[in-house]
Amino acid sequence: MDTRRCIGCHACTVACKVNNELPIDMIYNPVFTHGPNGVFPHVSMTFYPHLCMHCKNPPCVGCCPTGASRQEADGIVWVDRNTCIGCKACIQACPYHARHPNPRTGTVQKCDFCMERVREGLEAFCVQTCHQRARIFGDLDDPGSAVSHIVRSMNTLQLLPEVGTDPQVYYIVSPGGQV
Amino acid sequence: MSSKEDVKREASAVRKSCCFFCHQNCGVLAYVKDGRVLAIEGDPEHPGSRGGLCARGNIALQHLNHPARINVPLKRVGARGSGRWERISWDQALDEISARLMSLKEGYGAETVATAGGTQHCNDWSRRRFMNLFGSPNSFHNAHLCWIPTFMIETAIYGWCPFEIDLANSRLLVLWGHNPGASEMPEMRGIVDLKQNGLKLIVIDPRYTETASKADLWLPLRPGSDVALALAWLNVIIWEGLYDQTFIENCCVGFDELAEHVRQYTPEWAAPLTWLDPELIRKGARMYAANRPGNIQWGTAIDQSGRTAGAGIHARALLRAVTGNLDAPGSDLLCGPSPDFITDEEMEANEWLPEEQKAKQIGADRYKLTTWPGYGRIAAMTREVWGKAPTAEWMCEAHPPSVFRAILTEKPYPVKALIVLATNPVNSYGHTGLVLEALRKVDFLVTMEYWMTPTAMLSDYILPAASALERPTITTTYGCSDTVIASERAIQPMFERKTDYEFWRGLGLRMGQEEMWPWENLEEAFYYRIYPLGYDVGSYDEFVEKHRFHFPEREYYKYSRVGFATPSRRIELVSSTLKELGYPSMPTYVAPAENEIDDPELCRTFPLVLTSGSGFMPYHHSEHFQIKELRFLKHEPYADINPQTAKDLGISMGDWVWIETKRGRIKQKANLTQGVHPKVVVTQRGWWYPEREAAEPELGGCLESNANVLTDVSDEACDPLGGSWANRGLLCRVYRVDPSDAGR
Repeated sequence: MDTRRCIGCHACTVACKVNNELPIDMIYNPVFTHGPNGVFPHVSMTFYPHLCMHCKNPPCVGCCPTGASRQEADGIVWVDRNTCIGCKACIQACPYHARHPNPRTGTVQKCDFCMERVREGLEAFCVQTCHQRARIFGDLDDPGSAVSHIVRSMNTLQLLPEVGTDPQVYYIVSPGGQV
Repeated sequence: MSSKEDVKREASAVRKSCCFFCHQNCGVLAYVKDGRVLAIEGDPEHPGSRGGLCARGNIALQHLNHPARINVPLKRVGARGSGRWERISWDQALDEISARLMSLKEGYGAETVATAGGTQHCNDWSRRRFMNLFGSPNSFHNAHLCWIPTFMIETAIYGWCPFEIDLANSRLLVLWGHNPGASEMPEMRGIVDLKQNGLKLIVIDPRYTETASKADLWLPLRPGSDVALALAWLNVIIWEGLYDQTFIENCCVGFDELAEHVRQYTPEWAAPLTWLDPELIRKGARMYAANRPGNIQWGTAIDQSGRTAGAGIHARALLRAVTGNLDAPGSDLLCGPSPDFITDEEMEANEWLPEEQKAKQIGADRYKLTTWPGYGRIAAMTREVWGKAPTAEWMCEAHPPSVFRAILTEKPYPVKALIVLATNPVNSYGHTGLVLEALRKVDFLVTMEYWMTPTAMLSDYILPAASALERPTITTTYGCSDTVIASERAIQPMFERKTDYEFWRGLGLRMGQEEMWPWENLEEAFYYRIYPLGYDVGSYDEFVEKHRFHFPEREYYKYSRVGFATPSRRIELVSSTLKELGYPSMPTYVAPAENEIDDPELCRTFPLVLTSGSGFMPYHHSEHFQIKELRFLKHEPYADINPQTAKDLGISMGDWVWIETKRGRIKQKANLTQGVHPKVVVTQRGWWYPEREAAEPELGGCLESNANVLTDVSDEACDPLGGSWANRGLLCRVYRVDPSDAGR
């Protein structure tokens, strides 16, 4: 997530909603505005696009009593709606508020990185739609990938690193930037 | 789990369509089958949008298939505004409308018919073509608030408007009252790309915008004081010797006179008018002058500042000239009209409008630059030099507030009919009280629309309009660029929707204009327009499929071959054209229509400064409030207020507040932000509530949060050059909504 480029336009939020046909009050990838901070006219503002962090150590998977909450070999964390019983244990476990109950289906839903598209070599909807190219998607297991290069060489942060889930979403921030 | 990929695989064709929810016309790939659009996505091969789509672009299918769309012609059956309609056929609608227009023409002259337009959703050359053949000079848009005064003033002094900016080779960009971070996404992407390569960015804006957050220098001036800042920049650049002497000697006339004229406008003079520190003013001017080549990208802010607009635009335009930032690599380019394809102006049939009818254009006696007196003079010059003229639709229009007043007063003559296309004047035109009164009174009101807007609710006929995926689109910057981007329709219009072209042609055929409408549909007309480009294609759609766009090779310093289209054939720092029209030949300071210095009495009652009319995501003008996939982002209107001011007024974050000017008051919610000066209030534009009753007196809640209740369209508030009315820099007050006083 390149916060130097994001302008908080919410294209990703809407693209995700209409393409994944989410209920109107369910948002997989909100964009948060931090600021304007400071006192007029000495202010700054940064936009933080969110989504599921697809943690390396996902607490939402281990707590699932039915095994519906899963982590794929490539790292994608998703919910199998056929076996989810809607107990919401995973919602309690997730420190990033990335899981959402759907009262209509009685199951829990979440961002799955548009797994179906990614497997076909396409970008997730939120990545494809972003004019600013603020969302950069790739394979962190491949040391030669663009995202691996970014994480190695640029000023990046993870959200809530202290909770120990090792989120696989990194934020490029300006020098001195904070999340 | 997404099944969109499966849906795409079912499609029998992929059409290269576009979005038309703003001016960028981002490329859209439409997956179609059996006359239906199954899915859309951004077109990665589109030269402008490169696969991106903003929030609005993503709701194309929701817009196309929305249950609230107008799908068949409707005729009013009850009293006006009663919300009772009967379905009629297109033939009946066109027969009855044309009969009524002909009878009004007989009784009052053709000029009694006026037409109001919106933005980008129409082929307005067909509107002008009809109006010219019918004989009325009274078409108009919100042109006076959006680019057109800028285009005409810049063309008066340089011979064309340098809207094409060569940003890739630039060192510095000035965004003057322009926030592409909320209004023009592909452009913002280019800026952010280039900033990472060292492009410097100056943002001039009272509000700390998305774009300002990426800037190297932010100048938060008092709303409406742009002319003072531009004059002070001229003073600094000229009197600190930062100008481009060679360019001035080779290309300009009047430099010494200009230098003497701006001597008075020091940064110290400008400081109390702009609320900016003199050193900050100097810093900006020096940055622009020192980092050449540089660009000043157009934005609507000055256009919308009312009586001070013309002077501000004029002063800003001179900055490019004295720094030589014109037509050189990396600067603002004078590309001129296309010599290769048929332009909008050539489709308009302007030669068919008799001189005596041109003279009757409402507002032409006062706002000469953007009506036939100024346009006629300037178009004649550009024809001599470029061989073509700017589009008359937009650049040469009746003055909207004056038309609404003519409906009410019958002065200078009765205006009995108004045809409205793809605009909702109740929310989009200045001073809603005046507009509503005029729409309620006008004898005959026809609206072509997607939605039951407050304006449609008051109409005698409502005709269903085809939207972006249902019609082809040509993108040529209002007919004034030398480039063309072409998009095809994804499907034929659903239900009984039609394009505006078919509407005007349908009227024309019923009035004996058959010979002038040889093209049965837009594809035929567009093929006629691109045919001279010489591509080996047999149809418009084939051009889209094979080529999509035509970009001529970029030619710098075109003026050395073509010349400047001004009377002296040079850039006129002292403008003879403006002088001949009766305007100052050099920009002089003009204060905003309402301000604390000239009217301290008014300021005691209305101590804050209001600005309104800027774009914000996810809406556009007064559109999209009924689309829930967007509305969830911003369910209610918000006004920006500084936290200190809010504290003094007992206002908390999210409180409903009244915002009031001399003309009325509206309700929006308070957004407390350090991004505005303690004395500035920024309201969102366009708001109405489609979920409310679609009849009188509610009219979709069109008055409750509508910023145009506050704006000023009186002749004293309007710019004498271009007719802009005042959206920016007005005096207002803000107070909490008391539940016992929540009515209008």
